[in-house]
Amino acid sequence: MNNDYMVEIVELHKSFGHHEVLKGVNLRVKPSEVLVVVGPSGSGKSTMLRCINGLESASGGHIFIEGMDITDHRSDINVIRQKVGIVFQSFNLFPHLTTLRNITLAPVKVRNMESEEAEEKALRLLDRVGLREKAGAYPAHLSGGQQQRVAIARALAMDPDLMLFDEVTSALDPELVSEVLDVMKDLAREGMTMLVVTHEMGFAKEVGDRLIFMDDGLIVEEGPPEDIFTNPKSPRAIDFFSKILSHL
Amino acid sequence: MKVIGDRWKKALWWAGSLTAVGLIAFGIVYLVKFERGQEFVDEFLNWKIFKETFWYVFTGLRITVTVALVSEVFILVAGLLVALVRISRVKLFRGLAAVYIDVIRGIPLLLQIFIVYYGVAILGLKMNIFWAGVLALTICYAAYEAEIFRAGIESIHKGQMEAARSLGMGYFKAMRFVILPQAIRNVIPPLSNEFIALLKDTALLSVIGLAEITRRSSEMFGKKFNITPFVVGAVCYLIVTIPLMRLVQYVNKRLSVSD
Ligand SMILES: Nc1ncnc2c1ncn2[C@@H]1O[C@H](COP(=O)(O)OP(=O)(O)OP(=O)(O)O)[C@@H](O)[C@H]1O
Ligand SMILES: [Mg+2]
Repeated sequence: MNNDYMVEIVELHKSFGHHEVLKGVNLRVKPSEVLVVVGPSGSGKSTMLRCINGLESASGGHIFIEGMDITDHRSDINVIRQKVGIVFQSFNLFPHLTTLRNITLAPVKVRNMESEEAEEKALRLLDRVGLREKAGAYPAHLSGGQQQRVAIARALAMDPDLMLFDEVTSALDPELVSEVLDVMKDLAREGMTMLVVTHEMGFAKEVGDRLIFMDDGLIVEEGPPEDIFTNPKSPRAIDFFSKILSHL
Repeated sequence: MKVIGDRWKKALWWAGSLTAVGLIAFGIVYLVKFERGQEFVDEFLNWKIFKETFWYVFTGLRITVTVALVSEVFILVAGLLVALVRISRVKLFRGLAAVYIDVIRGIPLLLQIFIVYYGVAILGLKMNIFWAGVLALTICYAAYEAEIFRAGIESIHKGQMEAARSLGMGYFKAMRFVILPQAIRNVIPPLSNEFIALLKDTALLSVIGLAEITRRSSEMFGKKFNITPFVVGAVCYLIVTIPLMRLVQYVNKRLSVSD
């Protein structure tokens, strides 16, 4: 365990019944690092991300967030989760609340922040993702790209030290992808620590400090994104990148 | 719903209407031809008896509505609690709730009323008829409404709970501020139908002597030996149930429009 890392994963195992999905993942992420996670479908990318904020409980191994072991049952998962924001492929905005209330809900109910203060903060965050004028709108009246930007703002409202992104642009129409990626690029530039599962190789090259390639529950390659794209070593990675890059 | 085509709907409507008209015509012919009209009116719609019994029976409406409303408050609370236990992560609790729901739903309400009423008495607890009735109705209807609440909660996509939890909200906060507000909307239509059913089922409390509509009708029947008091009772129920049914329809429409 080392406090210099934002995230430290040691021999992480995760099984669903008899199906072992993560088979001993080791990973260290430094503060302000942007780590891109790629790999074929079913390789365990989402499961790893979900373990990091406790949506799935690890079957073995340890996960330290800023030195706190979240696999230790004595840790308060609700406190750790406030440091870790996650954005999902399917947005998961609260449909019964306006954009503004989506963002203020957790600060008010979890942090006991005053409503006015939370609203001011929410408006600042909406400015940041370019959606201030949608403060009063319900999620159903927003486009996919707008919903996803609100979801990012909602996560940021808890002042996380680490942000997890799980294929956040996969459900979007192609013309809406860049507006979401732009928000993420800004975040990266401002020094947010980010773990990003994505198939957007352009994004990976531009903002990724490091890339890991996962296959069958293990990290099989790791390095600067450019290097791995141009010179993958394992057969699985060669196959994967040849398909993805030819597709672009 | 597009389950049946428009043509079939039309055919069904005609079949239904023709049957209704046929039955009414048959009734009229029967009454007139066999000169039973006056007898029918005397027995079922006797104006004199109507006037004599109306106020007595109508007073029972207040008790019917009160016992239904008071019970409904307890039923909603108990039903929601049972539903939450039913979906809890603790297997034992889940099992207990499931047993409760199955057992209660598998027994006639009338029998449950007897068990509660005499059970309370034999245990030496002081509870008047009204509260015994409320207790019996609550025990019974909470089981049905728990299933409605559970279905409502489970119809909310699991991503909602995950999103709430990942913002640092605990399970109960997430339930209260994210899941339940959405689930409630889904359960308002079935719950209002349950309330109408409950209102009518209060009639069963007449067997333990609660002076509600049905009890009073049958007392008057015993006195007059005429069906009219029962018709008065029916009218008393309809005064409440028909507007309620319309209201439910209206609310359901509004809910589905705003979806
Ligand atoms: N809750 C669950 N119960 C059972 N199996 C699961 C569960 N969640 C994931 N799995 C299985 O774990 C494996 C890895 O899933 P995961 O979602 O982590 O893959 P992924 O790399 O994110 O894939 P994708 O690119 O399709 O999102 C899959 O085989 C999946 O079926
Ligand atoms: Mg995934």
